[in-house]
Formats: sequence, C-alpha cells, structure tokens
Amino acid sequence: MSLELDIRLPLARFTLEVGTRLDGASVAVMGRSGSGKTSLLEVLAGLRRGARGRVVLDGRVLLDSVARSDVPPEQRRMGYVPQDALLFPHLTAEQNVRFGVRPGRASRVDEAVEILELAPLLRRYPATLSGGEKQRVALARALATDPALLLLDEPLAALDVALKERVLPYLLRVRDEARVPMLYVTHQLGEARVLAREALLLDQGQVRAAGPAAEVLGAAARGLLTGEGEGEENILEGVLERPDDGGLRLRMQGGLSLWVPDSPALAPGTRAAYAVPAADILLSIQPLTGVSARNVMTGTVVNVEPVATGEDAATVEVAGVRWVVWLTSASVRELSVVPGARVFLAVKTSACRRLR
Amino acid sequence: MEGVAALVSFTIWVATLATLLILPPGLAVAYALARWEGPGKGVVETVLTLPLVLPPTAVGLVLLELLGRNGPLGRVLDAWGMEVVFTPKAVVLASAVMAFPLLVRSARSGFEEVDPRLVAVARTLGDSRTRAFFRVTLPLAWRGVLVGALLAFSRALGEFGATVLVAGNIPGRTQTLSLAIFQRTQLGRDAEALRLAGVAALLAFVAVFATEAVTRRRGRRVRA
Repeated sequence: MSLELDIRLPLARFTLEVGTRLDGASVAVMGRSGSGKTSLLEVLAGLRRGARGRVVLDGRVLLDSVARSDVPPEQRRMGYVPQDALLFPHLTAEQNVRFGVRPGRASRVDEAVEILELAPLLRRYPATLSGGEKQRVALARALATDPALLLLDEPLAALDVALKERVLPYLLRVRDEARVPMLYVTHQLGEARVLAREALLLDQGQVRAAGPAAEVLGAAARGLLTGEGEGEENILEGVLERPDDGGLRLRMQGGLSLWVPDSPALAPGTRAAYAVPAADILLSIQPLTGVSARNVMTGTVVNVEPVATGEDAATVEVAGVRWVVWLTSASVRELSVVPGARVFLAVKTSACRRLR
Repeated sequence: MEGVAALVSFTIWVATLATLLILPPGLAVAYALARWEGPGKGVVETVLTLPLVLPPTAVGLVLLELLGRNGPLGRVLDAWGMEVVFTPKAVVLASAVMAFPLLVRSARSGFEEVDPRLVAVARTLGDSRTRAFFRVTLPLAWRGVLVGALLAFSRALGEFGATVLVAGNIPGRTQTLSLAIFQRTQLGRDAEALRLAGVAALLAFVAVFATEAVTRRRGRRVRA
C-alpha cells in the first residue's frame, strides 16, 4: 500500500492539515478525541465535501482539488468501518455483509465470514447484536467488497469496552490472513503497537509525528494521549501451548512465552492475544526468586519516559518483545532504572487477560 | 342502485390514479426537503402546504384558469389535442393536487428519520446516490411513505371543492361519490344522498383503518 496525503479541510475549531506518505500495510492513527481522526477517514472515503489537496492511493488519484477531480465514494474501493458500525437495521447480518457485493466483481464474503467468525450470527438483525458483534459485521461488510484500503474508526466506547468485545484479535487476522491494508484509528497505545507498522499522530488537526510505529508510538504519543484517562496496556500475540506438566502458555515470536490463565476451552495451537496492563507489572533490579508470579523475565531497559505527574513508563526488552511498565518516578530514581540497565519483570498469570 | 357501484368504482379509480400520479414527484420533493438545507426552503415548504390550507374552491379556480382553453397550460394541451377541464382527467388532477401536501409531509418525516450516515456507508460499499436511495433510504422510510400514500388516497376519495370547479359535476362522467351526495341533496333526494354518505363512510373507514394499522406498528419497529 502507498498512500499520499496532502489535504486541508476546515473544521469547526481548527483546520485539518495532513501531508504525509504512508507505505505500511497497517497504519495506526492516534490523537485525542476531536483531533480530526474521524474527519481524516471521511476525507479518504470521499464522504467529506470541502476537502482540498491531493489523495493518491497506490498510484490512483482519488482527490485532486487543483485538477478538480474527486472520485465519488462508490468508486474509491475504501472499506469504511465507522465508529458506531452503522449496520443497515432493515437487513440481517448476512445481508449487511453482502451489501457491497456485485455480480462479476471480486468478493470476499466467505473469507470475511470465516475470519470474523460470523456464521452463528448471519441470520440475526443488527438490533439483536452486541456492540462487538456489530463491529465485526461492519468489518466483514467492508472486507467483503475486496477494498484497496480498510478505514477503521475505533468503536465509540472503546475505552471501556470489555476485553471480550474488542475487535483487535479479528483485526490481527484481517491483517495477517486477508492481507488488506488498513488505516486504524485508536486510543489504545498497546493495540496500535501490536497492529501497526506505521503510525500517524494528530493534534488539533496537525500531524505531530508520522513514521514507523516503534518510533512514533513512544513518548510523543503518550504525551498526546495522557489525560484521556486510560491506562496503557501491553498486547501480546502468539500461539497457545500446553506443556506436559500442566498449565497454559502463550508462545510469542522470538521464543518468549508467558503463562496465562488456564481454561479447558482453549486448545493448544490456537492463535491468541492477551492484554497485560502496564501498571500490573512488577519491576526489580535484583533477580526475582521465590515469588508467586509465574512469569519472571530478565530484560534490558530501552528507555524511561514520563507519563503523568509522578509516573514514568519504562520500556523493557525481553527476548525481542518490548514491555511497557508503569512505575512511580520515585521508584525510577531509587532503583536507578536507566536505559541499558538489566532488570527483572514479574507478571502474575492472572494479570494476563485474553482478548475476546 | 346500479348507479352506486359505478360511482364507487369511479371514485376509487380516481383516488388510486391520483395517488399513483403524485407518488414519484411527491417522493422526490419529500426527499429533497428532508435532506436539503438552503435559502428559500421555508418558502418552498409554505407553497407546498398551500393546497392544504387554501379553500379547495380557490385551488380549483387556479387549476381552471391554468387548464382552461385560454389558460397557459390549457393552450399547450389544446395544441396536443388534449382536453382536461370538465373531463375525468380533471377529477384526477384536482384530487392529486389536493392530496399532494399530505403525501409529501408524511414521506418527508419518514425520510428524516433515516440516518444520512447509513447512506454514506452504502456509498462506500459501491452504491450510487440513486441506488442507495432505493436500497437504504426507501426501505427504512417505507412506513412514512405508505402512511402518506394512504392519507393522500383518503383525501382524494372525498375531494369536492377543487373538483367541482375544474371538472364540474357531470353524472356518469366526472361525478364522484362526494359530488353525487351534493347533487342528490340539491335535488331533494335525501334518502339516496344518505345511502351514498353511508357508502362513503365505509370507504373512508377502510382507508383510515389501514393508515392507523400501519402507524400503530411503527412504534414496535425494530431499530439498531
């Protein structure tokens, strides 16, 4: 995917100005509420009049206000998934998913239904679906049209959405299995880190930072997002395994594995994603022995950045996996947690919560 | 009594035709009013409501002046060899004009209930404006449209004032139930007039009952 953006759109309180080039297959768009994220998606989908500038997707000009060209939304091949899903209330889930399918054109209905696990929901009407289910149907509806780019606006109440209602695990499958490029608006740093290759930070309609996710989603992103009243999470994805001596482990890329709460319903070999709150991780500068926590890891501090008054976020790399740990500034001082320091992390099994 | 069946079927025919005639322009106007915000909207709305509040005879007079052989429209029609005034066409036309505002008002509120963002989503899924109207807006607004059509039909069934001016009251040619009741009363045939009034009441009951049934179910409508 290559997306060239050079747009200006006057909004009520500021002008949205985005000039950037994005090449990653998945891009996270982050910023405070009301920073212009949703407007940006609408401009890309062709749903906002009055946008000036240029939008070029994979060499195809979608908007060029100088040349007076503005491809109508129905010809843009954008898979738009709005915040509140906006399913057609008079149609069943299946009819919703098939809405954009045209005879003689590529369709990915079966794949979308499979990836989003919609088979049991197909005959139901939107009014009977939960928030997360609606979001999955909306995602499948967009995916089924074989879009050139998926535009995903994070579910409205994403901040409080129960873990099992999150669409993130499905988005990971869409990214890895359906391989459709996506632009994803989110408030969750942890989600953005695990999902995106690139990130775009918006503040009052201006691009604050853009580039590789690992670089952008650090201090700058945290500085922008604090005050939104949410804790940071580590999101870990991998494959479940069940060792002979019992228990359930998540094996991640790079070989690191994490003990997670056992449940007979979870079969070894399944892909899964877990969330561990950054504030629920214990950091020590001495080897941890004799602790009840089953996950004890040794790592190296990559950086330490302030989060809010009195709190810091330390990024610790353990076997290729970066963990974010929140601790008080006082602890950082007393333990002298500095980049390069060797530290030990302890995570209780019960702090690992499975997404969905 | 053989005349009654003919009267009833002519009246129903007129009301049906009038309703069908105003359906396309009525829906277009209703949709435009529901979505378009601009200068002059208030004036357009008021003009469209006029037939509802003007004396029907005044509307009939305007139609007569327009469509008469020397009227601006009448001359054009005459050139095509078409005569409207004092024909069944005039009955249909008068009823249609009188019923138009009722259809527009109800259909418009139906359209206003449809979230325009649903239409936006339909467009990103490949629908043109027109296609999205028929696949999203109309199915979601159908109750408002149906109620509007039933109200228009009921209005057309009982139209008198405009019709009598532009179509006259010619038995067997332009006479509808309501015109017949008036004529029988004038002739002192009160019993006959009363019977016709009973038939008219029955027709009205069916039309209004249907409207009510549709409106009642509106409250139970499943929404996302």
